[in-house]
Amino acid sequence: MSQASLLRDPYIYNIPAALVDAYQGRRVIVRSHDPAALAAILAEKNPEDLDCLQLLSLTGDMGPLLLAGASVPVDLVMSSPDSNYPQLYDLAPLLTRHPVRVTIPVVPGFTKAVRLASSLNFAVKLEVMQPDPELVQETSEVLAYYLHRSTVSEPIEFFHSILMAFIEEEPLNLWTIQEEDPVFYRYITDQGEETISPRFVAADVGQNPSFFLEPLINKLLVKEGECAACEFFNACYGYFKWPHKEYACDGVKALLETLKHTAHELKQDIAAYHKASGKPHP
Amino acid sequence: MTGTHLSLILLPTLRCNADCDYCFEVKTNNSLTLDRLALLLEKVLDYMDEPHIQKLTIYWQGGEAMMLPPKWYEKAHEVIQRLTVERDKEIVNALQSNLIGYNKKWNRILAQMFGNNLGSSLDYPNLHRKLPGGNPHEFTAIWRRNFQEAKEAGIDIGVISIPNPETFKVGAERFYAYFVNDLGITDFQINTPFPGGPITETKKTYPLQTDQLTNFLIDLADIWVENGYGNGVKIGPFNELIRFFMEGNAELPCIWRDNCVNEFISIDPHGNVAQCDCWVASYPEFRYGNIFTLNSLENLLQKSEARQRLRSRPRILIQQEDCVECDYLALCHGGCPIRAYSTTGSFFTKDPYCQTYKSLFLYMEKQAVKLAQGRITGDP
Repeated sequence: MSQASLLRDPYIYNIPAALVDAYQGRRVIVRSHDPAALAAILAEKNPEDLDCLQLLSLTGDMGPLLLAGASVPVDLVMSSPDSNYPQLYDLAPLLTRHPVRVTIPVVPGFTKAVRLASSLNFAVKLEVMQPDPELVQETSEVLAYYLHRSTVSEPIEFFHSILMAFIEEEPLNLWTIQEEDPVFYRYITDQGEETISPRFVAADVGQNPSFFLEPLINKLLVKEGECAACEFFNACYGYFKWPHKEYACDGVKALLETLKHTAHELKQDIAAYHKASGKPHP
Repeated sequence: MTGTHLSLILLPTLRCNADCDYCFEVKTNNSLTLDRLALLLEKVLDYMDEPHIQKLTIYWQGGEAMMLPPKWYEKAHEVIQRLTVERDKEIVNALQSNLIGYNKKWNRILAQMFGNNLGSSLDYPNLHRKLPGGNPHEFTAIWRRNFQEAKEAGIDIGVISIPNPETFKVGAERFYAYFVNDLGITDFQINTPFPGGPITETKKTYPLQTDQLTNFLIDLADIWVENGYGNGVKIGPFNELIRFFMEGNAELPCIWRDNCVNEFISIDPHGNVAQCDCWVASYPEFRYGNIFTLNSLENLLQKSEARQRLRSRPRILIQQEDCVECDYLALCHGGCPIRAYSTTGSFFTKDPYCQTYKSLFLYMEKQAVKLAQGRITGDP
């Protein structure tokens, strides 16, 4: 999802494989349950227009996709991480030909999938909605794994981008990190309808999804609202307040606090390193 | 095979001039003919075409690879050079020999075909490597003489060493001094023994005592970090582990890859194909098929039930064992299937040296942190 591509085209469209012809010339993420269908698209479509191939099922015959060339990013979307995770072994060879990310829903038992995906050197994206306290606890353990295990060498999102944003003091929020910012992303349903992302399929996002966030934020920033006084609002931007704006953010704020604290420690370490080594701080 | 590189463990002969107690291969008097070598390589290269595998590394092993004469390898090299051009592939050759048959007649082909590199093996103390009807002392004496001669001819020799209970008694310090100071070896690797192939009295004692092996390896790693690391001495797997923890990537040994089925095959002189040298030489029931009797290697590999079962090992292991909870899953993935199978009768179990590996990983991780801190502060 490069900056250059974003400048060229305002939207990245996540489309079903059946609609590839209808979106010629646009920047697309092509999704399918069938590895062979994605391999066929890879063989035919201009890689310049392909942001990513998204495989929605990990149990089919992966042969065609494993043998497909071209370094197009592949996103493996897990539906049941607590039971699907062993399949990742069969998909690891994809890494020799493509950058590969595993998208893992934050549901009970998702930790095993994160640990194995990370151990196989897949990048990871966590699909998180409004986790209950038990899920927040499991997520905080995964965060500790990401932050402190020396065997982790690939990003685990959203942790990684938020951590980097805290370190670099750059404005970046979860809507963008999670590829749900309506200014950049469109999700086209199997019926051809346009929305923001899969979790918005049944939601009313208005006539122009680009303007979906503004009224939501306005409602959240009322004086008595939790967001108004939240120190992480710029990083979160109300992400955890959808679909239920009553959701209590204590747990997710603790996650963000851990990331902020770690960023602070890392900045101190980097500064100490430059001081000790006599090298100028970049 | 789905990557961009294929590793072929080729056994051009199953004849051997040694009779080591722990050898895991069933020896025969057969060797590969040059005609069959060409046919075999053609089929391997055919197989590499469709998945666009560009590079082939051939690990020439045995039996004892030097039971075939240098002239055989010179002709084999001509075949490989021709195929490299005709098929537009990169082919790299690596030779593993016990050095017993080495003499200066080998120098030319070692330079031309193997880039003046050679892998060999010696234990300290040597209890199990012997000539037929001979004893370990004779073996060591011949090995040391030939090693010296090869070294003087400019050949770089990496050595695999397998510890035994006497190794633990003499300790890591003497072990290190023997290889590095006495022999001048700067590149060696510690392998763990396993009871593969026909049972012998020696193999009945395998796997080695985990606590003794662990203590020895950690002592040796300690000595290496102090004296060898930074002074050009490489000991596998220590240097790879330090690199992994300091740089985030490393060329880990085959026993710790996520699935060796994705990267390796082995072929014996009869044309039998299996996962590695032990499987192909000693476990006919786990062979994938014969490359000379089937039209294509691709069909052979795709149709082999033995290969499918072996390929499923890490997927099944991660559900049956506790590997997913392990902090070092990324480094090991349950370890070596042949070590597991030869020890327990099933490869759907963890490598019997699991506890040793975990202790070593933890120790090397701490050493890497110290080395990294030393880099920052300028301490050695």
